[in-house]
Amino acid sequence: MIHTENLSKTYRMGEVEVQALRDVNLEIKDGEFIAIIGPSGSGKSTLLNLLGCLDKPTSGAVFIDGINTGKLSENALAEIRREKIGFIFQQFNLIHTLNALENVALPMFFAGVGREARLKKAEELLVKVGLGDRIYHKPSELSGGQQQRVAIARSLSNDPEVVIGDEPTGNVDTEAGDAIMDILEGLNRDEGRTIIVVTHDAEIAARAGRTKRMRDGKVLD
Amino acid sequence: MRDKFLLAFRSIKERKARSILTVLGIAVGIAAIVALMSVGYGMEHAITGELTEMADMISVMPGEIRGATYVERGSFTDRDVSDLQRIGGIKDISTMTYDAAKVEYRNENVPIFVFGGDTKELEGFYVDPVGLKEGRWLRENDYKGCVIGDRVANDFFDEVLHVNDKLVINGEKFIVVGVFEKGDMLYSNDVDRNIFLTLRAAKEVLRTDEIKYIIVRVYEIDEAEGIAEEIEERINDNHGLDDFAMAMTMGSMIEMMGDIFNIIRGVLAGIAAIALIVASIGIMNTMLMSVMERTHEIGVMKAIGAKSSDVLSLFLLESSIVSLMGGVIGCLLGWVVAKVLSFLASTASGLEIAAIVKPEVLLGGIAVALIVGVLSGFYPARKASKMSPVEAVRYG
Ligand SMILES: Nc1ncnc2c1ncn2[C@@H]1O[C@H](COP(=O)(O)OP(=O)(O)O)[C@@H](O)[C@H]1O
Ligand SMILES: [Mg+2]
Repeated sequence: MIHTENLSKTYRMGEVEVQALRDVNLEIKDGEFIAIIGPSGSGKSTLLNLLGCLDKPTSGAVFIDGINTGKLSENALAEIRREKIGFIFQQFNLIHTLNALENVALPMFFAGVGREARLKKAEELLVKVGLGDRIYHKPSELSGGQQQRVAIARSLSNDPEVVIGDEPTGNVDTEAGDAIMDILEGLNRDEGRTIIVVTHDAEIAARAGRTKRMRDGKVLD
Repeated sequence: MRDKFLLAFRSIKERKARSILTVLGIAVGIAAIVALMSVGYGMEHAITGELTEMADMISVMPGEIRGATYVERGSFTDRDVSDLQRIGGIKDISTMTYDAAKVEYRNENVPIFVFGGDTKELEGFYVDPVGLKEGRWLRENDYKGCVIGDRVANDFFDEVLHVNDKLVINGEKFIVVGVFEKGDMLYSNDVDRNIFLTLRAAKEVLRTDEIKYIIVRVYEIDEAEGIAEEIEERINDNHGLDDFAMAMTMGSMIEMMGDIFNIIRGVLAGIAAIALIVASIGIMNTMLMSVMERTHEIGVMKAIGAKSSDVLSLFLLESSIVSLMGGVIGCLLGWVVAKVLSFLASTASGLEIAAIVKPEVLLGGIAVALIVGVLSGFYPARKASKMSPVEAVRYG
């Protein structure tokens, strides 16, 4: 499904270079639920951003369904982000001028789905994450846990094969975090979606089928 | 498309205060264009309208216009007049004379220009457009009557003159039979400071047979230009000079006015262009701030699959909506300002100027606003569309 070959990323800030990722070779199989743990600054976010095609590697490559994403155009990458990958952020990253329904429908809007179909699907997804009674609420009117569930619904709107979460429970309390993990688990178990999450929480990591540890830009065995 | 529109509109609404200011900036620019052009057209129409009513007329003067001043070369002779009578296509010739005279009223002496001519011609030329405030116009046998201009009546003497007051002009007694209204911009020079007599009386008091001015009327307006040339030729022959006489048709005066209006329009367009440049900097500024403020939002959109072109079109749409609103409001505002300006210009000039708000000016104004909006929105929109999803999301 997804694999990387000698994936490296170096950030350059003026004179200073930070090697955030060093020759990472990782393979994630279809339908897998994988957790990535590691100390802060070990390169977890950098890795997820590359897997999610949000960023470009300095060297090496990310392959999705056998396709080398480094060879794709900007538009083709946008299409992969839209159709194959659902991304969930630690800060939720909802658009605050849009209500829950519109936020969830936004990726479908960019995919060219008609208005009716879009809003219908968005509502179904919000019901699925337990927010059927909050569809017209603006993000500011929702709790952190609820906002993250809206973000999950949004990540699912184009039916992606892979859902990537960068510390999705990092900004919510334990109870809301459990609810979020339940949803992700369900997506993996019941729908067969590939789930990749980064977390600090060992308890949460334990719910994944496989755990990978990172340190200093390297994935340990 | 409708959804994009709604999305763009949403973000305009979200930044209400700034959007309103930008809309106003454009509106003022467009209003300036619309108002200035409409008043310009109104002014042109008012002036050429008055001239067009006299399109069959040729003015013949013994001299030429150099720059902005008239230089007199002498006067016409009776022979000139009888030569003119032989030119085909001429309906009517009337001769006039004028000169400064000493005018006395209740022991006050003031030098004033006295104008004498065919009363019917003068009536068509001055009385019809300017109008009389008091009394009546001269009749051909009013040898002792005079009609005075507004300033002669009100300013030149200590006391205000009225009908039936008696003046002494170069020693001859005259009675005021009429007083002109104040002339407007076009006429005030010719009417306000003058006293009008019959041709016979004027020749007598000015002690002259000199003809200073001839008005020719033609049958066919189309032929006026050719006839004017012939008039100049004949009179120049008589005086042995090749530029003694100047025969001007109303058509050429209108053309001259047209040139002046082109200059005025150019200046107005320049002012409006500056207003627009300022407005477009405003749009660019608003859009740039909007892009900067929404770095995060743009990043999120790209992270969830928006293409660069999606972001570009969203931002362009946003600046187009803002500028379109500015254009429409500017047109309405310009309309109102044009009416007010033309009212002020009317009272100031005495000329009846009605602003002419042409539909093409309104459409042009809206089009210009839109073009300015798209052009000045383009740089910020492009900047937004070029953002990398991860760069943008990080600063959330
Ligand atoms: N845009 C960036 N510019 C410079 N350095 C960065 C940037 N993003 C991350 N880094 C650095 O790269 C390293 C890995 O960061 P990150 O992937 O965010 O780690 P994690 O998510 O595991 O905390 C850190 O040292 C971080 O400071
Ligand atoms: Mg991180």
